[in-house]
Amino acid sequence: MIVVAFALLLACQLAGELLGRLTGLPLPGAIVGMGLLFALLTRLRRPPQALGAVGDRLLEHLSLLFVPAALGILDQGELLARHGLQLGAAVVVSTLLTLVVTAAVFRAAARRWPVDAPAEGAPAAGEGEA
Amino acid sequence: MSGLAAFWATGRSSTLLWLAATLGAFALAEAASRRLGRHPLAHPVVLTCALLGAALRLTGTPYAVYFEAVKALHFLLGPATVALAIPLWRNLPHVRRALRPLGVALVAGSLTAIGSAVGVAWLLGAPAPVLASLAPRSATSPVALEVSRSLGGLPDLTVTLVLVTGAIGAMALSPLMRALRIDDPAAQGLSAGVAAHGFGTARAFQVHPLAGTYAGVGMGLNAALTALLLSLVALAGR
Repeated sequence: MIVVAFALLLACQLAGELLGRLTGLPLPGAIVGMGLLFALLTRLRRPPQALGAVGDRLLEHLSLLFVPAALGILDQGELLARHGLQLGAAVVVSTLLTLVVTAAVFRAAARRWPVDAPAEGAPAAGEGEA
Repeated sequence: MSGLAAFWATGRSSTLLWLAATLGAFALAEAASRRLGRHPLAHPVVLTCALLGAALRLTGTPYAVYFEAVKALHFLLGPATVALAIPLWRNLPHVRRALRPLGVALVAGSLTAIGSAVGVAWLLGAPAPVLASLAPRSATSPVALEVSRSLGGLPDLTVTLVLVTGAIGAMALSPLMRALRIDDPAAQGLSAGVAAHGFGTARAFQVHPLAGTYAGVGMGLNAALTALLLSLVALAGR
């Protein structure tokens, strides 16, 4: 049931928001909701198929969903003029460095703790795929 | 005619107009991106923002009016963020198989992403809200947006930085890995997902299916770890 699956996503977010509110922790509700859904999935023997369908549909268009927030840059001309150099330098340096560090550390660690042979090129699918 | 003018002035017409314009611009941008061979610089979101930005300027529409009109789209980011748990759960077998290398590389990459961005900007004299906006920018944008808000950053600025990060990471991936002679698709994919979220993941899938899978895992786990680390920072800062 698509409707139930969507309701489950909303319920997880609501529970996440409530948890953040009740504990007074600065935890974003949607992210706590993601953790709750993940915990739920690992406990269900056969997660509902519709959940995978709804999730795939939402995530397929994820980039569309952040257009409204991304256009906020229109109101930030002054900010970008003042901090453009700092932001540009930070983003370029940090992105390249993160790529290098992650790949190099993974390679070194995989030599130490060999990764079990993966099913080469197989798409990642869990058992009882939802 | 006056009936039409009255209709035009209502919030409902504004919602209909800008929702339609946003979806239309996105469809156009998708088609253009496909024609340009999915070049990272021609990412659909970048093109959509350019088109809509021009439209808002030309019609003299303030951003606040636009945002109010399309906030239904923005609302869906919440459930979409929750849904990120699903691919992460599907990839659990891959995570289990490479648990230790994945974990070590993830922590190293996540700390590098946060620390180096904040460090460089701090050295150049950026103020606290700018640093807070930069910190979560390697995470996927719904997560980065929420984390930035809880850190006292500027969520809109963070979304822009996330997009720029993604475009740079996707473009730099292959040349950088060639220069470093890292040809393991798992290492390439993981670094693309950790450093450049969805943009990097899309690029990694073009390199190798296994790279794409590891990128998806890297993106999901980095989002979770970034949220966790920076929530601790937000908590400590209160």
